Amino acid sequence: MGIRDFFLFRRYSLLIFIVLLLLFALVLMSLRAKQREGVEFFDALLMEICSPFQKAATLVIKTVQGTFTQYVYMVNLGKENRMLKQKIAELQEENHRMKEMKLANERLSQLLQFREKNSPSMIGAEVIGQDPSSWFKSVTINKGERDGVKKGMAVISPAGVIGQILKTAPHYATVLLLTDYNSAVDSIVQRTRAKTIVEGKGENRCQLKYLRRAEEVAVGDVVVTSGLGGNFPKGLMVGEIKKVDKKGHGVFQYAELVPSVDLTQLEEVFVIIEPLPSSQPQEEKVEKGKKTRK
Amino acid sequence: MKRIIFSLLVGILFLILQTTLLPSFPIHRIRPDILLIFTLYLAFLFPPIFGGILAFLMGTLMDLFSGNALGFYTFSRPLVFFAAQFFKERFYLEGFYSQFLFAFVSAILEGILILILMNALQSLSLGNLYPLLFTFLLPQSFFTGLATPPLFFIFQKGSSLLFPQPEKGMKERV
Repeated sequence: MGIRDFFLFRRYSLLIFIVLLLLFALVLMSLRAKQREGVEFFDALLMEICSPFQKAATLVIKTVQGTFTQYVYMVNLGKENRMLKQKIAELQEENHRMKEMKLANERLSQLLQFREKNSPSMIGAEVIGQDPSSWFKSVTINKGERDGVKKGMAVISPAGVIGQILKTAPHYATVLLLTDYNSAVDSIVQRTRAKTIVEGKGENRCQLKYLRRAEEVAVGDVVVTSGLGGNFPKGLMVGEIKKVDKKGHGVFQYAELVPSVDLTQLEEVFVIIEPLPSSQPQEEKVEKGKKTRK
Repeated sequence: MKRIIFSLLVGILFLILQTTLLPSFPIHRIRPDILLIFTLYLAFLFPPIFGGILAFLMGTLMDLFSGNALGFYTFSRPLVFFAAQFFKERFYLEGFYSQFLFAFVSAILEGILILILMNALQSLSLGNLYPLLFTFLLPQSFFTGLATPPLFFIFQKGSSLLFPQPEKGMKERV
């Protein structure tokens, strides 16, 4: 390399750096699309480092929120009866704690009953974080590869389908929610048995794709999983149809669905680590219910 | 080096806040992207190479905890950082309005870039995605803009307190 070339390199070094960095990001994107192991290992490693802090932060926030909701309405009380109010506050706090415990108990009993009724091959997990971006819909759970969680596994709750596992780390995993644009679940309309694919549409809404125009579906119809995707057992509640539109042209009609689970308030979930007996055999596993990735 | 490691730790802290504290607000649309604000601030604090690498790492962290499997933010965050580096000396960025506008425009442009990437790489139709511009992108960008001036102030105070000889502040640079 001549002196002139060296100075030219120095002059454009910043530009070269920027281009290289952006190219590296694009290469990473391509490697992720091909699901290369090296990138997945790197992602899992970073996730393992950050998730314990996330778990701790969730715990702190839940505690602070509980206390805050309890006391926030009491800030402007006068000085009179301070002692009495202090006593009330203490009792209320105790009551609040007991109510929270009662609610948690009810919720967990319901989960336990659901688990016993359906299959022993499910594991319970706690939601420890939400998606940092508004574009995508996912949550982080505190169970990972060491607990038997694998990519593509179904995540459900007693109320219905939640989503499927997108990324895994040894002790944590990311769940792609039903409402994400990249989510697709093979389903049927319970009343008419019409086949469809439930695709995410952001903001707690989904769209029914490939629903034939000839099918008589109506607002209020319940949509359940078909079991054809291989990951979800047959007959799990997905949601309720909220809008049907046959005005357009074409073979299919347009319908919107609201998931049966409130995906913005998730606390505990179940991961199906083995297909249930009611689901279709492994040979029937098709990629129909998935789009670009598992 | 100390400053880089510290900034990375602060970035992780903001990511944790963004995935735990902000979603717990009752209205989900009032959710400023504090990691984007921090990435913008890095443009004032670091030279292009170190800052670029930090922005790249911030993007990777965002991707890791989001439902985005391809890594759009790993690409978009360094771009936002370099754009901020480019414009920081061309505009007056001291007042509330200019900082608000700076972050608002950055958030909007990054959102549009993500939209284009989603459309191009994940075959999602723009017809389905464009309602998000009004339901998510605009409110989120607006609140990101609103949160920027106070957060920039806190970052400035924090960096001048933590490091005895801080980098030139925004005022000296402009």
